Amino acid sequence: MLKLNQVKKQYGKNVALRDVSLNLSSGKCYGLVGPNGAGKTTLLKIIASIIQDFHGSVEFTNSPQAYSKELIGYIPQEICLEETVTARDNLSFFGKVYGLKGQMLRTRINHVLNDIGLTEKAKHRVNTFSGGMKRRLNIGCALMHTPDLIIMDEPTVGIDPQSRRYIFSMIEKLKDEGCTIIYASHYMEEIEQLCDEAIFIDKGMVVENDRVDVLLQKYVTPSIYLKGENCIPEEKGDFSLSPRKDGYLLLTDNPIEVMQRVIIHCKNHATQPEQLELSQARLEDVFFSLTGSQLRD
Amino acid sequence: MRSIISLELLKNLQDRGLLFWMLLLPILFTVLFISVFTSGTEGVAREQVILSIVPGYTVMFVFFILITMIANFIKDRELGMTARIASTPLPAYKYLLGKWIPYMYIVFVQILVLLLFGKLVYDIPLEQPLSLLIVSLLLTFTVTGIGLALSLLVKTNNMGIAITQVIALGGAVLSGLWMPIDMMPSFIQSFSKFLPQYWAHQAFQQGMEGTMQTSDILLPASVLLLYGATAFTIAILRYPAFLKMARG
Repeated sequence: MLKLNQVKKQYGKNVALRDVSLNLSSGKCYGLVGPNGAGKTTLLKIIASIIQDFHGSVEFTNSPQAYSKELIGYIPQEICLEETVTARDNLSFFGKVYGLKGQMLRTRINHVLNDIGLTEKAKHRVNTFSGGMKRRLNIGCALMHTPDLIIMDEPTVGIDPQSRRYIFSMIEKLKDEGCTIIYASHYMEEIEQLCDEAIFIDKGMVVENDRVDVLLQKYVTPSIYLKGENCIPEEKGDFSLSPRKDGYLLLTDNPIEVMQRVIIHCKNHATQPEQLELSQARLEDVFFSLTGSQLRD
Repeated sequence: MRSIISLELLKNLQDRGLLFWMLLLPILFTVLFISVFTSGTEGVAREQVILSIVPGYTVMFVFFILITMIANFIKDRELGMTARIASTPLPAYKYLLGKWIPYMYIVFVQILVLLLFGKLVYDIPLEQPLSLLIVSLLLTFTVTGIGLALSLLVKTNNMGIAITQVIALGGAVLSGLWMPIDMMPSFIQSFSKFLPQYWAHQAFQQGMEGTMQTSDILLPASVLLLYGATAFTIAILRYPAFLKMARG
C-alpha cells in the first residue's frame, strides 16, 4: 500500500529521521510508538506531504500515481477546526477542498456526521462542543473524501472514556472497510487494542516493527504476580524474582508450571496467597525494553 | 480555493470586532477630526479640509486590516490548520489566494462605505466615479497584499500589531493623510513618493475633484500594483518557512 524508502530528514544539524524504510500493507492498522522527540510527527508529516524537503521516497504501491494527497486523510493532534462555524460547515469545507460538490458532498456530510455521532449537532457551532465532540469532528473532517490511508496523530488526547470508546469503534469500522491506518499514540494499551502491527521509532530510526503479539512474545518475559507471606517456593528452579508493589513478580518461561508449584507450596505450608495471578504481557514493557526508561527531554 | 474564500468570509462576517475596526472607528475619527479641523473655517477652506480628511482617513484606516489578517494567519498556524490544509490537494498559492480574497472584499466594501459616508454627510464631490473605483480596487489589492506578506513574515500577534501601527500611523503622517503634504519638510515630501498611502491619497483627491486625466492614474496605479504584486511574491516565497513553523 505505502512504501517508505530510506527516508531522511534533518533540521539544521539535528537529524530527525535517518534511513527510515517501511512497507505498509492495505487494511491494517499500524501503531507508531516512540518517546518524545523520536521523530514520529516528522515521519507523519512526511507521509502526509506537509514536509516535502526530505531525502528518500514515499510511494503508494497500489495506485497509478506514485503519490497522491487524495488517498490520505490526516488527523493532526491539535483540534484543527473553524470553531466559529458549524460542524456541517467544517465538514463541507474539507469536502470541497478534496473536490466534492453538490449531492455527493451533501451525502458524504450526512454519512460522516452519522459515523461520528454528531447528526443532531450538525448545525451547532463548534465552539459550543465538548472536547470529545471536537475530537470526533476533527476525525470526521479527514474522512470526507473516503481516504485509503488515514494518519491519526494521538486522536484520543484529553477526552473522556466514552468518547475514546466511540473513537475506537470508528477506527474498527474503518479497518473493516479496508482502510490502512497509521495510529501514533503514547497510550500503549490503545496500540495493543487497535493495531495489528507496532512500529517503534527512537532517535529517528525504526528500532522494531512487527505484529503486536510477536513483539509481546519476543520482548516480554511471562510472569506471575504473587502477594502473600511464605508463599514463594524455596527451590526457585526456572523462575526469578523481581519485587513489584507489595509482592513479587515471578519471571519464567513456564508460568503455568510455576503457578502450580506456588499453589502446592502454599498447600504444604498451610498458607494462602493474598493475590496470585498471571501477569499480562504489556506493550509498555516492550517500549521500555526498546527505548529505555530514562526521561527524554 | 472557493471553499476557503467562503469559509473565511463566513468567519469574518461573524466577527463584530472587525465591524468596529473597519467601519465604526474610522467614521468616528473622521467626524471627530473634521469637526476639530474645520472649526472656525468656512467655504472653500472648509471644503479643502474635508476633501483631504475623508480620503486621508479612508486610506489610513484600511491599513488596520493588517491586524486582523496577521491574527488570522497566526491562529491558523498555531492551531494546526495551516499544516492540515497543506496535507490536502490544495496548492499553496490557492490557499494564499483563498485567504487573501475575502479581505479584498472587506477592504473594498470599507472604502466604498467610508467614501459614501463622506458624500452623504459632508457632501464631498465624487466627480470621477470610475477613477475612484479603480483607485479603490488598487488600494484594496495593495493593502491586503501587504497584509498577506506580513502575515507570513510576522511571528507573533504583538509584533503584528506593532508593525501595523508603524505602517498605518507612520505612513499616514509621512504621506500627508493627517495634514497637507505641502506643509511637510522637503525630505519628507520626497520620501512620501515611495509610500502607497501618498499615491492613493493623491489619486483619491484628484478623482473626487474631477481633475484626474487618464495619464494621471498610471503612476499611482503602477506604484500600488507594484506594492501588491511584490507583497504577494514575498508571501509565496515565505510560505514554506511559514509552514515549517506551523503546528500539527
